[in-house]
Order: sequence, then C-alpha cells, then structure tokens
Amino acid sequence: MTQLADAYITGAGAFLPGEPVGRAAMEDHLGRVCGRDSLLGRRALKWNGVETRHYALDAEGRATHSNAGMCAQAVRAAATDAGLGVEDLGFLAAATTQGDWLVPGHAAAVHGELGCGPLEIASFQSVCGSSIMAAKAAWQAVRTGEHAVAAACAGEFSSRWFRPSFFEGTALVDAKGRLRGEADYLRFTLSDGAGAVVLEPAPRPDGLSLKVAFIDIVSLAGQFEPCMWAGAPLEVRGDPLATWSFSGPQAAHAAGAVALLQDFDLLKRVIRAWVGVYLQKVDAGRIRPAEVDHLLCHYSAKSLRGEIVSLLEKTAGMIPEAKWFSNLASVGNIGSASIWVMLEAFLRTGRLRRGERVLCVVPESGRALVGFMLLEAV
Amino acid sequence: MGEGAEVSDVLRRLAVAFAEFEAQLDGTPLIRKLTRGRFTLEDYRAFLANLRQQVKDGALWMSRAASHIDEDHLELRSRLMRHAVTEHRDFRLLEADYVATGGALADIQGAEKNIGSEALSAWMFHEASRPNPFGLLGAMWIIEGLGRIKAGEWGRLVRDRLGLPEEAVRFLLYHGENDTTHMAEFEEMLALVLPDAAVAERIVKTARVTGRLYALQIEEIGA
Repeated sequence: MTQLADAYITGAGAFLPGEPVGRAAMEDHLGRVCGRDSLLGRRALKWNGVETRHYALDAEGRATHSNAGMCAQAVRAAATDAGLGVEDLGFLAAATTQGDWLVPGHAAAVHGELGCGPLEIASFQSVCGSSIMAAKAAWQAVRTGEHAVAAACAGEFSSRWFRPSFFEGTALVDAKGRLRGEADYLRFTLSDGAGAVVLEPAPRPDGLSLKVAFIDIVSLAGQFEPCMWAGAPLEVRGDPLATWSFSGPQAAHAAGAVALLQDFDLLKRVIRAWVGVYLQKVDAGRIRPAEVDHLLCHYSAKSLRGEIVSLLEKTAGMIPEAKWFSNLASVGNIGSASIWVMLEAFLRTGRLRRGERVLCVVPESGRALVGFMLLEAV
Repeated sequence: MGEGAEVSDVLRRLAVAFAEFEAQLDGTPLIRKLTRGRFTLEDYRAFLANLRQQVKDGALWMSRAASHIDEDHLELRSRLMRHAVTEHRDFRLLEADYVATGGALADIQGAEKNIGSEALSAWMFHEASRPNPFGLLGAMWIIEGLGRIKAGEWGRLVRDRLGLPEEAVRFLLYHGENDTTHMAEFEEMLALVLPDAAVAERIVKTARVTGRLYALQIEEIGA
C-alpha cells in the first residue's frame, strides 16, 4: 500500500458579516413573526449564553452578503494567512447547512464567488458536522498527493431562514400568532458567518502549522430520527416519503415543512449518545484526555456543557475546563462555520505552543453525528 | 480496548455500555412506537404487565446477592440489603398504574414472564448465586440508569401521548424523580470492590449482558 503523506493546516480564515449585534437588537434583524416579540427569545439567549452575534441581514432585514460570498471571503483570508493566494488552490471542499441555491452544490457557488481558475471541488451538506466532512476530504486530497493546496470552508446564512415569511401563515404559528418552540428556539440559537482552513503537505516555513493527526466522523443516524431538520413537518419528520417536495412547495410551506426545526426531547438522548461515542474513543485510546492541551468543542448552549461535564469528570474522560477555548458568547453558534471561526480566533490568541495538541469536537444534532479532529502544533 | 480498573475507568466503560443499551432499547418495536407517536393504551398495559414480573424479582436477586457476599465486604452487603428493602414493593406501584388505566388487577398479576424476562431473571439469579457476585454492580448500573435516565422520559411521553392522569404513570415518573441520588451512592459501592482488574471486567461484562437481555425483554412485548 502506498504511504499517505502528512497534511498540515497552514492557514485559517474567518468572515463575520457586519458589526456585532447585541441581544436586544437581534430580533430587529430577523423581524418579528406576526409583529409579536418572540416568546422564547430571551430565555433561549440566556440558555445559550450568547451575548453578541453577526448577521448578514441589516437592521431592516435586507441581505448584505450571500452564504457563498462569505465563504469566499473566509477562503481568501485563510489563503492569505498561509501566505498564498486563491490561485494556488487545487481543491476546494465547501460545507453548509443550506446553501444559497437548492442546486447545484455549495462548492460551485463558493468557487463562483472566488472567481478563480479551474479547481476540483466537493460539496458537503449536513449541519454543523459538514465542516468536518469537508475537512476530511481536503485532508485526504493532500495526503494522497492529488493536490498540493486544498481548502475546506464552511458558511451559514441562517438568519434569512428565520424571517417572518418563513413562519407566517404556516402550521407552526397558532391563531394568536405564537410561533412553535421547535422553530422559535433556533431563531435565537444560530448566527451567520464563514470560516476556512488551507491544508498543504508541508508546514509553513515560518510560524506554527497544525499537523492533522486524525479526523473521525461517527454518524448514529441509523438509531435516531431527525433531531434538527428542515424539509418535513414535525409529526412525520422521520418518513422520507412525507418530505416537502412530494406535496409541492406551497403546501409544504403551509404545513411548516420548510422551516428549520429542533426536537429538544430527542436532543437530550442524542447528547448522551455523543458522550457515549467520545468515551468509547477514550476507552479505545484514540483520544487521550491527558494529552490534549486545548479543546475546541462546538456546542450551541452553555447549559448543555454543564450537563456533559459532570459525567466526563466521573469517567476520567474530562479535559479540564481551563483548556477549553470558546467564542460562543461573542459570535454565537454559526453551525458548520463555528469550528473554523473558533480555530481562527484561538490561533490569534497566541496561546498555542509548538508540540501542543488541539482537539476539535463537532457534534451535530441533525441526525446524531459527531466529528473529532486532533491537531498537533508543529 | 478497555484498560484500567479504577472507579473512573469502570464508570467510563459502563457509560459506553449504557449508550449501547440505549441504542438497543430505542431500536425495539415498542419504544420505536413510543418515541414516534404510535403508542397505544394496549401497548402501555402490555408494557406494565410484562415489566411487573421482572421488577418483582429485582429485590429478590439483590437479596440473594447480599447473602453471597462474604464477611470481608460487609459494607457492600449492608448496602445491597437496604437497597433491596427500598425496592421490594415497587411492583405494587406497577399494578396500581395498570389498574388506573382501567386494567384488571388479576390480569397483571397473572401475566407470564416473556422470553426476555425469563432470560433476564435466570441470568440475574445465576449471577447472584456466585460467591461475591460483584459483577451485579454492572447490572444495577444498567437497571438503575434506566430508571434515572429513561423512565422519566418514557413516563412523560406515555402521559402526554395517551392523555393519562399522573396516577396511571407513577412507576415511570417516580423512578425518574427518585433515582437521581443513586449515582453518588453507586460510585461509593464501586469503590468498595475496586480497583481490581478481574472485578472490573466482570462488572462491565455483566452490564452488557444485562442490557442485552433487558432489551430482549422489551423486544418481546407485543412484537
């Protein structure tokens, strides 16, 4: 068997649209469903621990950027960080939850916005974990020697899905104009933005690079119904034949099948399953908590973190909280883009030292998936 | 895989075993119906009737296990005995729930053990009859974890989906509330027999076997 080469993250970039938006102004950007203030908004923000976030919508709800455009900006920033230009790219993997077009894939849209010459591209559509899928593709492209410079990017423009027109006149709003919690909660959970990394077969000549030790992705979809989804009404969300396109776009919209929804009860079960996968990795020696110097864990809510921590402490699976880095409070949960935006902010802190290990964990509630990426500073 | 025999190592392996157990449970036809909104009153009555026989045995195997613990482990023996006392009337609550749903007491009392319950009970009594049956701590982890984590969740689903009053779902709701203090107690019990490599192995193995047989018991209900 041919030996695979090592691959290194040599640049990271992030793009956050506009100025930070504080809690009180968030609903101005999203717009008020049926003209009413959200019932859940404040509680959701407290629960999430998010203070500020960015939107690609202005205070009147007009779009200032596209998802693909934000991704292109992040890819440019990552290439610049690596000391390269987009013309050096040979491979581009792009991830998102919902792109600007239904068809074709997100990577084509990002490539279009970059406007550079011919590239190999790959599109990954899932939720938060799509970032890690794209990273794995870029990593493999470099490891196999097929490309000398690969980029993985991820972007979200969630806020446009939270505009009142997505909910008004649908089964998700009752006669008094109150939006269902499964939809309203997400309106205050997700933010906009994009992030990217550049991978190469050698470390950068100056400064730190991150050698990718492994990328593991585990899906438990065979065991769970959709937990965070769009494209099916609440009641029949597990039946692929009941999804939106069978009834046509107008009927699907009226049934509340187009909006993004989250099942909280199921989420609790999914969280236990994620922790189970993590502990299995610890037990198998794949992850050694004592050897992790920095943990970048993507989580959407500060309060979820508390529930998990006590179990990890009891089972010798815990990485001490002093080693956790998060920018959730200032940028919110940017879905697939979160892990790259977090990594970019972490690298800028200057905290990382040569030889240290960084563990990235990206759980995705979509249909119960979790991704792990171990990086080593060289 | 699975190194180490400290309390934290065993707890970690038990947490993995529980996740495996939960996946097995979620895959059974009955629980699938419950979590997907297709659960009926008949399903709930069948669930209670099938569970009763095994719940009744719970305190019995625990007592038998206590009687096989030697004098070097008196503290563990005391704890198991106390535990058995706390739980040995729990099956009465199941009967009361069954009656509150409109079922006849004689029906639940006369129900037979299903194939999975037979296997689970036989396994528990077999393990409990061995000298110093410390592996049963793994069985307790599975069964109490079920009470601590799943019972409340199931109880609320049953109540809400079937529109039942609280007094028809007390067994499930009660366990969801009361088992939360048991975790610390469980750690203390583990510390009475660990670290010991052979005991650690046996605890984890017993947890996995118990989980599989418990899921078989649920699988056999109205399937």
